[in-house]
Parts: sequence; structure tokens; C-alpha cells
Amino acid sequence: MNQPKRSDEPIWWALFSAGGVCFAVMIPGLVLTLGLLYPLGLLPEAAFSYSRVQQLLQSFWGLAGLILAGTAICLPLFHAMHRVHHGLHDLKLAKGPLTKVLCYGLASLLSIVAIAYSGIIV
Amino acid sequence: MEKTIIIQRYNPEQDQAPSAERYQVPFDHSTSVLDALLYIQQQLDPTLAFRWSCRMAICGSCGVMVNKIPKLGCKTFLRDYPAELTISALDHFPIEKDLISDMAVFLDHLQAVKPYLINDSKNTEPHRQTPAQLKKYQKFSSCINCGLCYAACPQFGLNPEFLGPAAIVTAQRYNLDSRDQGKAQRMPQLNGKNGVWACTFVGFCADVCPKHLDPAAAVNQGKVASATDMLISIFKP
Repeated sequence: MNQPKRSDEPIWWALFSAGGVCFAVMIPGLVLTLGLLYPLGLLPEAAFSYSRVQQLLQSFWGLAGLILAGTAICLPLFHAMHRVHHGLHDLKLAKGPLTKVLCYGLASLLSIVAIAYSGIIV
Repeated sequence: MEKTIIIQRYNPEQDQAPSAERYQVPFDHSTSVLDALLYIQQQLDPTLAFRWSCRMAICGSCGVMVNKIPKLGCKTFLRDYPAELTISALDHFPIEKDLISDMAVFLDHLQAVKPYLINDSKNTEPHRQTPAQLKKYQKFSSCINCGLCYAACPQFGLNPEFLGPAAIVTAQRYNLDSRDQGKAQRMPQLNGKNGVWACTFVGFCADVCPKHLDPAAAVNQGKVASATDMLISIFKP
């Protein structure tokens, strides 16, 4: 058997793993606060005022906003698109590198938008 | 007491397609699927072909699909099934005849990972090993090469080039052995797209493994090893 070429999969797998952790840790908390408690009026109105949230995200030289975008949007995106990519392979819909480029390309594009917006807000 | 056994018969040299044949087999509490196949071959139909040897789940040759789940015939009992059960050759392998599948692909993949101790041959001293060193690989050392995990693996079904669970387990078994120095020779196989990275952690291999050695865990440890290997290769001059 010939020596096979090294796969680039460790990169996508690392992003997938990191995204999985973020999904499990960040998303339930965010859904609880932003999706349930806040709309139900169980949290004080002032806690989520624009200026207060902006101030919060600006802390640590804007790193807080960047970390929030990274852990709540970017890494979970790579996690999800990794599943979509492999799911398409399982459904025999992935032929050649096109789906891979589309999946991880979309995740990269939306990640850039998220990070750029976190910068603008901050 | 009798049960109906439906067996997928196929002789590629004569038949257009596999066909099902029904047999009535007497059974008691201790009748295994292998016993039933032997009864059919000896009493009802001598043309039935299947592999078997040890009758005690160590030779790994009597693997068949029982109701579409990969099983060792000798370790599966009629008492656990309803009045009818279907037996066919292992999935994902070409059929040689009836229940005999062609395992050549699997054996090629096994050979590709160099499944033996590689070390300095000039050293004739015994290789001592502590219980802690033994423990690292022992759980992966009981593979009997029955191929049930290949019949269970949907990724191997989609891509027969995938090294597959047992070959990767075996590669890990030797990579984790303190007496072995062959990891550098085995890693390129695991690092390729048909190595550990073709696995999507379905985990059915671990469910069907008759020796309970958890191939899915071994493959995922292999992913960590392969990712580490890539990192090292980036930083190594």
C-alpha cells in the first residue's frame, strides 16, 4: 500500500471539537438569558440596555466582544458546517472538494462578518 | 421446538442474484446460530457454505449478519430470537459463496498498519514491561480479526479504502506498546484521508465487537494522535 498524503482534516476536526464545547457551554446560557428570561421580563430592563451591553463587550480592550463572537457564533458555525459536510458525504451528495469549500467557506465568511460586527459595536 | 431460519444463498458463478431459502431447525436453550447452520448443512442441505472453526468466539471466522446485525454465529443463540431469523453474509464484503465473504480487503488494510512489534532487532534482551505500560494497550489487544466491525461500519460501506475499525485498533495497540518503536512507520497510514479521518464516530463498531474492545474509542484516540502528529510536523524543522 502506498504512503497516503496527510489529510487536512485535523484542522477542521479541531475547529469542530472546539465548536462542540462552545455549543455545549455557551449556547444554553445564551438561549436561557436572551431567548427566555429577558423576553419574559424576568431580568431587569436596564441589565440589557445598549450602552451597558456595549460597555460589557468593550471590557478587556474589546476582547470580551471578540470572545463572545468567537465562542457563540464562529466556532459553533464551524462545528455545524463540519456536520453538514460529513452528512452530505453520508447521503452520497458530496462529490469532490466542492461541498467542503462551500461548507467551510460559508463558516469562514459568516465568522468574519461576526468578528467584524463585534469590532464595530465595540 | 423449531425455529425458521432464512438464509441468503448466493453462488456468484451460477446465480444472477442472492435468494432466500427457508429451513426448519430444532433448537433448545443452548443452540447457537452456528449449531443451527451445522444442522442445516449436515441434515438438510449439504450445499450450504459457511466458515467456522473454534465454536468459542476466539477464531473469529463465523461472522454473519443475523437479522441484519453483524454477529459471531457461535456467540449468538436461537433462544434470543423470535420464531424466524434471517442470516446472510457479512455486509460490505464481496460474497464468495452463501455465508462466506471475501475478507481480502480487510486483511490488506490490516497489513498496511504493520500489525507487529517493530523495534531494534539487534537487542536480544527480553523487553521488560511494567503493569502500567501493559495497561495502556491491553484493552486493544484482544481483537480476533472477525471483521464484524467492518460489516457494522457505514463509512467502510461507503468507502472500502477506509482502513476501518480493526486495523486502526491494531495500529493503536502497537503504537501504545512500550516495546514498540514503529509508530513513525504507522502514522502516515492513520494520517491519510482513508485513515482515522474517514471515521465519523458512528460507534456501531463498538456495539457489535464480540470482544468488547471499543474500536470507536481507539479510532478517536487515533484522531488525537494524528492531530498531534500534524502539529509536531508543522513545528519540526
